[in-house]
Amino acid sequence: MTAADTSVSPDARRVWRAARAPVVIVLAVLLTGVVLVLARGGGDAALDPRSYGPGGTRALTRLLAEQGVRVEPVYSSADADPAGATVLVARPGLVEPDTLAALARRSAHLVLVAPDEAALEAVADAVTTAGDGQLGTEARPPDCALPAATGAGVAELGGTAYRGPVTCYGGGLARAGDVTVLAGGHPLTNGALAEEGNAALAMRLLGAHERLVWYLPSAGDPGLRDGDRSLYALLPRGWVFGAVQAGIAVALLALWRARRLGRVVTEPLPVVVRAAETVEGRARLYRRAAAADHAAQALREASLRRLRPLAGLGRDAAPETVVAAVAARTGRAPAEVGAVLYGPAWPGGPPPLTDDSQLVRLADALDALERESEVRQ
Amino acid sequence: MALTGRAGLLALAGALVVGLLLPSWPGVLAVTGVVLAGVGADLLLAGGVRRLEFGRSGDDAVRLGAEAEVALRVANPGGRPVRGVLRDAWVPSAGAVADRHRLHVPAGEARVVRTRLRPTRRGDRPAERVTVRSVGPLGLAARQGSHEVPWTVRALPPFHSRRHLPGMLDRLRELDGRRAALVRGRGTEFDSLREYVTGDDVRSIDWRATARAADVMVRTWRPERDRHIVLVLDTGRTAAGRVGDGTRLDAAMDAALLLAALAARAGDRVELLAYDRRVRASVQGAGQAELLPSLVSAMAPLEPELVELDARGLVREVLRRTRRRSLVVLLTGLDPAPLEEGLLPVLPSLTARHRLLIAAVADPAVAELARGRGDAESVYGAAAAERTLAERAHVTALLGRHGADVVDADPGALPPALADRYLTLKATGRL
Repeated sequence: MTAADTSVSPDARRVWRAARAPVVIVLAVLLTGVVLVLARGGGDAALDPRSYGPGGTRALTRLLAEQGVRVEPVYSSADADPAGATVLVARPGLVEPDTLAALARRSAHLVLVAPDEAALEAVADAVTTAGDGQLGTEARPPDCALPAATGAGVAELGGTAYRGPVTCYGGGLARAGDVTVLAGGHPLTNGALAEEGNAALAMRLLGAHERLVWYLPSAGDPGLRDGDRSLYALLPRGWVFGAVQAGIAVALLALWRARRLGRVVTEPLPVVVRAAETVEGRARLYRRAAAADHAAQALREASLRRLRPLAGLGRDAAPETVVAAVAARTGRAPAEVGAVLYGPAWPGGPPPLTDDSQLVRLADALDALERESEVRQ
Repeated sequence: MALTGRAGLLALAGALVVGLLLPSWPGVLAVTGVVLAGVGADLLLAGGVRRLEFGRSGDDAVRLGAEAEVALRVANPGGRPVRGVLRDAWVPSAGAVADRHRLHVPAGEARVVRTRLRPTRRGDRPAERVTVRSVGPLGLAARQGSHEVPWTVRALPPFHSRRHLPGMLDRLRELDGRRAALVRGRGTEFDSLREYVTGDDVRSIDWRATARAADVMVRTWRPERDRHIVLVLDTGRTAAGRVGDGTRLDAAMDAALLLAALAARAGDRVELLAYDRRVRASVQGAGQAELLPSLVSAMAPLEPELVELDARGLVREVLRRTRRRSLVVLLTGLDPAPLEEGLLPVLPSLTARHRLLIAAVADPAVAELARGRGDAESVYGAAAAERTLAERAHVTALLGRHGADVVDADPGALPPALADRYLTLKATGRL
């Protein structure tokens, strides 16, 4: 039987075998997602100048760029340089009113797409939401004197209706000073740009200055309002609900793994203690008490127990007899043998041992004596 | 009930549908509803596990270290097939090699699954519950249920020392005269008279028989037969100490089994008594054929108890059991304190009636410790070990003075040493 047969801990191959199915599945799901997202045209973020989707504004920014307008997409208020430029804020409801006010002060022209009351108060108190609320997205004539609107003609603006000093498209566009408020971003999007006068209106509104700062608030932007500073609020809905569904899937997978096939089996185990434990404990006790002399006594007695039969002596042999016999066998001086074998008890023997190194030397001396006694004769 | 991985994967695939096609709460609800509907359908359509019928057969005893196989018959009286997984759970020390089995039992039929066991510990190893997970036709969910199907496999002592048995039997045959010529001194029981052949010891010539017959006759002797041997296992706390690979009790059992096998072959009668504060196991009056099986079966469930051996009660029990003079073999540790305080005072009443042989399991770790040299820690260890060995020697001498023989050896060396001592006693007619 090889070691691999008895081993119960998982080796690399078993870990891989257990993990490969989930890994492959998760990779497949991710890959499918990526492929589908790419197939649908680089995302569909609303009013994102990078997006080719129907809700994106890539087409408009290209048109503006062809007209010599420098379009600067920014995703954080910190990156925006509004000085002397047209600034479009795609989702002003997410931005701190103070930040909007600062943008309004420094920019040449500020365009807000569907701002809420707080945003309006900060930059254009003259504009308010109209009492009758929502406006359908349909083609309307400008009905006002704003040059950009009259030049563009019929356009499709829908969303929240506003009232201001200048109100066009039945509330779809309001103007107060340098601030223009749009009811919705529909006419700017790739999908609707070709309809009616949408493109003309957008070009006239946003192309008036040489630079256009396209501000699309994103996660991590310091200019965001406190309550909306989360990734969640800014994520596309598909990701959010996909994650919810993935969470449900993870819960189901957890339930699958958590369910045991039968209960845990327990059994009483016998008590097993190493028999030598007490001996080792006694050794540690000797050492802690620095009982070198006591330990030496034990070693000497053990050596005597082995030497006496070698010398042909009984248990009660007198020290002098034993020492004489051992000295004769080893050829050493009796005084030396007596000092090793009997220590302080031998007349003229050494004083009691006091430290560990003496004990180690004594053990070696006793060993040497026993070895020589066995070898000689 | 239980879900399968497939249900989770289906929900995960649903995340794509929700994320790309239906990014809304209704979308989540719809996808989850589809998954749950599948789970519900599976639970309805899966074969029932509650009414499954089980039966077991197969090995009920196995030598420790060998493999047993227990068959489990699963009958499905229901109307739908049961397809899925079965777990035949055993206690961990039963060493089930693989306790999970794929199961497919068509309606009205039965199947047998076999679980192989390799027990890791001596004693009775019971089966736990049988759990069946029956997966539905879609593979999304399963019904699950457990059944109690009792069975016990008894793991017998391994009897490692049986490799010594042939050699010991050879020596026994020599004693018995079945191999070599009978000579005086190899036994004490008079066997028969036969004619003198060259080489016979002249001292065994029976002059009276020679006078009656035409030839010179010699007496032949044979070892005693039909002697009583009582094996006493000490299952008290000193038996729990681990010595080498097993406990002292394991080593003692090995030695006892070898001695019993040998003695049974020699025609002696063997009894077993396991004792700490009460009788743990007992074998009496077993014939030669069933002796070993009944001994291993009686020893199998024995575990050391954490109590002090009641030597007085033990001696009383031995005396109560055997009226005849017997060889009492006490297998124990040789710890000075319990022996001096417990056994020594009651020893005379035992040795007066019986011959006592004490077999002690020595610890090779202590001998190893006694050889330690070189640094202070090793030498202190050596001193402590020498002190322990001196105490053992002292107790051995003390027991010897009280008329008890002592065999003190390492776990591996104890069985042959004990058997040797037995043969020596037998040869010299001291049983």
